[in-house]
Amino acid sequence: MPLLFPLVLSALLFGIGTYVVMARRHAVLVLMGVELMLNAVNLNLVAFDAWWHDALDSGQVLALFVIAIAAAEIGLGLAIVLLVFRTHQHINVDAMRELADRDGGQRADQEASKHTDRGAGSSPDRVAVTPP
Amino acid sequence: MTLGIVLLPVIGAVVAMLAGHRRERIAPLAGVVTTAASLGAALVIGFGHWGDAAASALGPYEISTGGTPILVGLRVDQLSASMLVLATAVALLVQVYSVSYLRGDPRYPTYTALVCLFTAAMSLVVVSDDLFVLLVGWEVMGVCSYFLISHHWELEPAREGAVKAFVMTRLGDIGFLFGIFVIGEAAGTYQISGVITAAEAGSITSGEATISTLLLLCGVVGKSAQFPLHSWLPDAMPGPTPISALIHAATMVAAGVYLVARLLPVYVLSDVAMAVLSGIAVITMLGSALMALAADDLKRVLAWSTVSQLAYMFAALSLAGYGAAILHLLSHGAFKALLFLAAGSVIHAVGTQRLGQMGGLRAALPITFTTMTIGFAALAGVPPLVGFFSKDAVLGVAYEQAMHGEYAVRGWLVLVAGLLGAALTAAYSTRAWLLVFLGPRRGSTAEPSDGADNGRIVAAEPHESPWLMLGPLVLLAIPCLVGSWAVLRPGFLGIEADPLHLPVALISLGLALGAIAATVFAWWQLGAADPAVRLGKFRQVLAGEFHYDALVERVILRPSRFSALAVAANESSIVEPYVQGADTATQWSARLLRWLHDGNLQRYVTTVVLGAVALAVVIGLAQ
Amino acid sequence: MTLVEVLFLLLGAMALGSAVLVAVSANLVHCALWLVVTLGALAGCYLLLAAEFVAWVQVLIYLGAVVVLLLFALMLTRAPTGAVPDLTSSNRFLAAFTAAAASGLLIVSFAAGFGGTRIEIGSGDIGSAGALGSTLFGAWVLGFEVLSVLLLAALIGAIVLSRRQERD
Repeated sequence: MPLLFPLVLSALLFGIGTYVVMARRHAVLVLMGVELMLNAVNLNLVAFDAWWHDALDSGQVLALFVIAIAAAEIGLGLAIVLLVFRTHQHINVDAMRELADRDGGQRADQEASKHTDRGAGSSPDRVAVTPP
Repeated sequence: MTLGIVLLPVIGAVVAMLAGHRRERIAPLAGVVTTAASLGAALVIGFGHWGDAAASALGPYEISTGGTPILVGLRVDQLSASMLVLATAVALLVQVYSVSYLRGDPRYPTYTALVCLFTAAMSLVVVSDDLFVLLVGWEVMGVCSYFLISHHWELEPAREGAVKAFVMTRLGDIGFLFGIFVIGEAAGTYQISGVITAAEAGSITSGEATISTLLLLCGVVGKSAQFPLHSWLPDAMPGPTPISALIHAATMVAAGVYLVARLLPVYVLSDVAMAVLSGIAVITMLGSALMALAADDLKRVLAWSTVSQLAYMFAALSLAGYGAAILHLLSHGAFKALLFLAAGSVIHAVGTQRLGQMGGLRAALPITFTTMTIGFAALAGVPPLVGFFSKDAVLGVAYEQAMHGEYAVRGWLVLVAGLLGAALTAAYSTRAWLLVFLGPRRGSTAEPSDGADNGRIVAAEPHESPWLMLGPLVLLAIPCLVGSWAVLRPGFLGIEADPLHLPVALISLGLALGAIAATVFAWWQLGAADPAVRLGKFRQVLAGEFHYDALVERVILRPSRFSALAVAANESSIVEPYVQGADTATQWSARLLRWLHDGNLQRYVTTVVLGAVALAVVIGLAQ
Repeated sequence: MTLVEVLFLLLGAMALGSAVLVAVSANLVHCALWLVVTLGALAGCYLLLAAEFVAWVQVLIYLGAVVVLLLFALMLTRAPTGAVPDLTSSNRFLAAFTAAAASGLLIVSFAAGFGGTRIEIGSGDIGSAGALGSTLFGAWVLGFEVLSVLLLAALIGAIVLSRRQERD
């Protein structure tokens, strides 16, 4: 089997993953994009392992590690998503603009009002993130 | 030992500053004890260098600078030893005098500390064998002088006088600093003895000598209050009178003379510098003597006379009359300190410095009268007092040069000016003496003194000062009386004995006696009024001090202020827009960049990935 | 073209297709389910690449745990089950360009570096549970232990975050 088959597949999957991360508005979808990217990397690792006939099975072991880390990441990520949902009543990634550089918050308010009726959240809470 | 002379007063200054405010007695005690110890050390060193003993040195320790190394060291020869004795002796007498004169002054500790520091600085200047260390002492003296003149800083003239003294001496010191650079480069060393060796060996060219000595002369003229930087010294008189005695008569202003004497081998190489020195000396000598003739302030008379007498020393130096200049320096140090301290005693008694408000104090102040008379007589050049002989030494140098020396023209100039000056000196001394001690009592003591020393409360009837003040007067009168012997046998200073120049001596004596007689006659004829009235309209010019300050105001200060305004306008109209523009440009570019920071994390991620891809492409293409 | 290659291409096409649907679908739940298909197809690819144990772990953890967690998250955030009109932001064109550029760059560099190479899989290369376990607990045991600490940290982190949630 040509090595390029899995490599090209992984490259395309990685591209799709980045697109999802960059373009999709819902936070859970963003996490899915991250999973896609991680899987693309895994495919690469396994393919190179098979090609190299590694005595220590480095590629496969690292793939296992990545899967474990991905599990941890998705756990934490979902916890954060739930927390954001609690404080903002929505999980629109591009409506969370608390990090914006602005004068007295007018800009952020304008930005936020643009997204009021969009996405999964009901109404964005315009108050900045306040730890409960 | 040498280092001790310098360091002891510093210790006294530190003690006075730190502990002086706790107990009233600590500050005077610290000042007197350390200065006395310093004087003791100076005397030991002085006897060690009696006669033709070789110079002793400490160091030199090399400080490498990357260029010409600085050789820090101390060196004592006959000249430095005698200057040390003069400075520490006068300092000690002034310290003792001040204990009584400034009793109860709230700023006494600071005053003592500054006097101690000043003594240390003067000693450093005298013993330093390095031009830079000398400069340090020189500047410390300047700043001490500034602080001491403004001792009564609540009085307007004291503040102005201090600032004027500081600025004018500093003006000269700029030239002084550059003079050091030039001389160091020319001689290849900053060590004074090295410079002198180089000058005597002929390794300094005439041009280098001219530039460096003229630049050094700037500092000297500033420090010794010679024309054209002369006007600060009379304005320094609002300082306490003991300070005038120490700084503005015996030591600091003498530092300029000392420096020129020290570097005379370099000055001799440059005819131009010597000629300039002669010119300055002659102008200053006559001008300041004339101003002393018309001044209405006792201390101002003495200040102008100091300027005039310093000019005598410079005149002698400009004719390579090293010995005469040093002798006159030492004798002048003694009798001018005496005069100032006695003037302090008079001011202490009557509470004013105005000559017009004194008179008839002979009976009330017998000891002050006696000692001050000795001082005035010495100043006027009455034999057998020390002033007559030292002035004769100066005039003798001029006479020798005029008759059969290489500086014939300048010799004649100095001789004539010196003789005229001698007559003027006798005249103004007599005038001041008559107005202070003889005639009827004038003025009211109840009236608060204007610009007088420190506005002290005055008893209704003038009374003799306490012995703490009279003691120094008596002690200073002794060298005035017996110093003549030393002047005629100056072998102990390493100077060749110089017999009396009979023709010059007779002429100057005749002129002086004639001036005294004329002054007394005018005074008698005017019914014990100011003999200066006889000067007529010229008196106004002299009392106005030739309107020199107004001239400076018009020629230097106004253009300076105008150009300062021009610079300020330039700043606000040309430089400022650039600064503002930088500010505005930054703000606008920041506003432009800000839309990138809109808080959208996905856009941030996009930018990062795009950047990474672009970098990878660029790197890949580059390889 | 061998049977393995044909199977790989089929599975790859399946994974790609479902991944694209994840990227464009308007229904959140559908996205999660298409993700299941992608991950499952990838597990098949692993099998074809002789990584037997990795394939089963993929099925167990990704399909079994991660996707279930994602579905839970969708439910907990009250995600609508129907189609959501505006699920893709205005950043999509720039994002598409960036993703295409990244993929293109990777493909070009892969093709340049590994153009003609082939994977030859022998019988000794099979990453069975036994073979992989012996290396994992032999040469890689340190990394494994570090990973366990990481998982513990993630566990604690998740608890901390959810405790703050409870305090509301």
